[in-house]
Amino acid sequence: MKKLVLFFFVIAFLSGCQMRVLNPKSDTADTLTNLIYLSFGIMMLVLIVVFVLFVAFLRKFRERGKAKFDIPPDEKENKWLEITWTLVPLLLIAILAVPTVKATYDLTSKVSGSAEGSQGDAMTVEVVGQQFNWKFTYENGKESYDELVLPVDQEVEFRLTSNDVIHSFWIPNLSGKIDVLPGEETRLSFEPREEGTYQGKCAEFCGAEHTLMRFETKVVSQEAFESWLEKE
Amino acid sequence: MYVPFVGEVPSDIVVAWIVSILLGAALLWWMTTRKKWPLVWDYITTTDNRKIGTMYILLAMVFFIRGGIDAMFIRTQLAIPENDFWVFQSQKYNEVFTTHGTVMIFFVAMPLLIGLMNIAVPLQLGANDLAFPYLNSISFWLFVSGGIIFNMAFFFNAAPNAGWTSYAPLATDTFTTGPNNNYYIFGLQVSGLGTIFTAINMIVTIIRLRAPGMKMTRMPLFSWATLVTSFLILIAFPVLTVALLLLMFDRIYGTSFFLGEYGDPVYWQHLFWIFGHPEVYILILPAFGIFSDVISTFSRKRVYGYTSMVIAIALIGLLGFMVWAHHMFTVGLGALANSIFAITTMLIAVPTGIKVFNWLFTMRKGVVRITTPMLFSLGFIPTFVIGGVTGVMLAVAAADYQYHDSYFVVAHFHYTMIGGTILGAFAGIYYWYPKMTGKMLDEKLGKWHFWLFIIGFHLTFMPQHFAGLNGMPRRVYTYTWEDGVFLLNFVSTIGAFLMGASMLIVLLNLYKTHRLTDPVGADPWDGRTLEWTVGSPAPEHPFQPIPKINSIDAYWYSKVERKKLPESEEPRPSPIAIQTVAPVLLAGVLIVMSIGFIYGWVWIQVMGGIAALGFFIYRVFNDERKAVYRKEEES
Repeated sequence: MKKLVLFFFVIAFLSGCQMRVLNPKSDTADTLTNLIYLSFGIMMLVLIVVFVLFVAFLRKFRERGKAKFDIPPDEKENKWLEITWTLVPLLLIAILAVPTVKATYDLTSKVSGSAEGSQGDAMTVEVVGQQFNWKFTYENGKESYDELVLPVDQEVEFRLTSNDVIHSFWIPNLSGKIDVLPGEETRLSFEPREEGTYQGKCAEFCGAEHTLMRFETKVVSQEAFESWLEKE
Repeated sequence: MYVPFVGEVPSDIVVAWIVSILLGAALLWWMTTRKKWPLVWDYITTTDNRKIGTMYILLAMVFFIRGGIDAMFIRTQLAIPENDFWVFQSQKYNEVFTTHGTVMIFFVAMPLLIGLMNIAVPLQLGANDLAFPYLNSISFWLFVSGGIIFNMAFFFNAAPNAGWTSYAPLATDTFTTGPNNNYYIFGLQVSGLGTIFTAINMIVTIIRLRAPGMKMTRMPLFSWATLVTSFLILIAFPVLTVALLLLMFDRIYGTSFFLGEYGDPVYWQHLFWIFGHPEVYILILPAFGIFSDVISTFSRKRVYGYTSMVIAIALIGLLGFMVWAHHMFTVGLGALANSIFAITTMLIAVPTGIKVFNWLFTMRKGVVRITTPMLFSLGFIPTFVIGGVTGVMLAVAAADYQYHDSYFVVAHFHYTMIGGTILGAFAGIYYWYPKMTGKMLDEKLGKWHFWLFIIGFHLTFMPQHFAGLNGMPRRVYTYTWEDGVFLLNFVSTIGAFLMGASMLIVLLNLYKTHRLTDPVGADPWDGRTLEWTVGSPAPEHPFQPIPKINSIDAYWYSKVERKKLPESEEPRPSPIAIQTVAPVLLAGVLIVMSIGFIYGWVWIQVMGGIAALGFFIYRVFNDERKAVYRKEEES
């Protein structure tokens, strides 16, 4: 079983660079990936300590022929040991909590900012989720369904709402999820850094054909984007 | 009137009807020819905690098979990309994962643990039964009734289809018409009531019926876990009741709590998770208790750090109420809320870590005997720790924007729920089986069961982490070749079938044990706590006279010193056992009434309501305790 677990971790490391979430193509996704690696690293530390103790104790204290009738003496708990395994995890959590809170504040203010106008020169895209497709409306009024086209290296701000039930807007390569609620507007923004085609998905179960509620995100050059925008 | 079972019926339902009727007929025939009816009648009318606990576990196993078959369908449909397995696409698939989740949580995990509590807690405390045996019988039959209501839905082609979380507004009648999600509401409502009664029963039992000298600080950890769990149930389940009631009003009477101008779908999420997060600790704490007792017994050592173990249980229970919004990080509650709930969630890792290290140090310097229950406990430690560390990763609010509602989450909670609760329940069943039936399950087959199950488990759920990281959302019925998750899903499906196969070994084991082995004595495991002082199976009112306790694990030390446990002169109130059929009838009435509500048949609602009220009146005039107490006062 241990070998099996190890096997999967090796596979994971080898294919890590291919997995969409760990293959960020925007500033936001970059931050998230770094956080994922940090938390993974700290947690592997904990995992290894537990596994080592587990295997060591099991090998050493497993019942063998002559120990069959041994009655081990009672042991008083060691205050220092107890303090260690209370404080060390606390410390690890503190190390993890600081970047967590920082990233949460950085990204979340973008995600659901106040209703004021968009900051700076971000491009705005209105997103409407409905059973079972996505409608994107650009600044010049152009509409597209299930196809999102974005210019590279340009901050884009999404304003999302739903026509029916709750959906969730997710482009694993570019950003985390933001829920799309009926009667409310949520926001999300990021800056794509690389041209390419990325999968977009609805990540909140929304009814019969939730599975098919996908869209394609094409990140293209500024010029290509302009000409696409003008095309009827 | 709309009759639910004619017209176009999918073939899986037809097959299910045929199989159920054949199995039912076979069972009836077997019971009649073997003259089992008196035994069945005895169990149906009993108020004895051991018998009720055994029935809880038996029925949970039946539901486990149902939920397991659902899981097989899910995994078969997902085995290869763009698959079209039988009928399990779109809405049909949604029904399957909804029933899988709901059945496994409410009708498998809960009753398995409650069954073990019923059997073990009174025995561990030196009590003769639960404090309210009659109420206990009601609890059990309400659970049966809820289980029947919920599982009936599928047979009438109306299985719930909004996920086990039943999020509004999808679960309101605007978006999911038909009776489907009404079944969900009433199934959970009725069985939830039973769970609340059990919690009250456990709390009173633990506070009032401990044997003389069994101070709170000398209680076995399973009893401690049960106490804390019961308080969690008492606080969390009423929230579910309220949420379900509001949803029911939205669906049946056209209110708009979760929809429209004044309603808000996010209210549902808050209510559901204020219940839902404590619920997962309700499921894990008793398992922790079982592991503590099992590991201590089979290391032949006192549990390490008893005090910190108790404090950790209490802390987990307390923190469990402060973390619900980590299920809602992507809703847009704002950075402050997300940060606070991220930190409280991470904090739960601390008491959990304390428990893990205490278990490890219980084994250190002990003599670790690898029996089947111990094997399940040992399998639990690494498995649960993996689930725990992914839990902390999920708590990182910003990173959760990526994990949320992906297969990463699916993998995480199966690592905790199966790695914790189900392994715990198996450990408990193998451990206390002598107390239930008087026989011991076969060790060799038990070990086969463990190894197949654990290997199948890791094969199933380890790849799902990576499927999630590769962008596979949960609750989808298919995926494409380009998604790049084929191999991961394929391995996962193989693992799932391995787990399924391991359950066949359990059936074989049951057959072998009951056909070919002899009864065992009171103390087959060389135990430490009071349940091993009474006969196997535990008789009704086992402690006569009641023992006197002067330390933790008193029975163990009496064995070490080769002395008998001292007997106590002080009497403890003894719960009164009766044979009664009233709880069963009440359960039947509630099923009928619920069907009235589910299909909107008013006259059945009214009749069911009157009959249910009738039981209260009947009970007022038929309290078996009155006569006994009067006699006590006179003497």
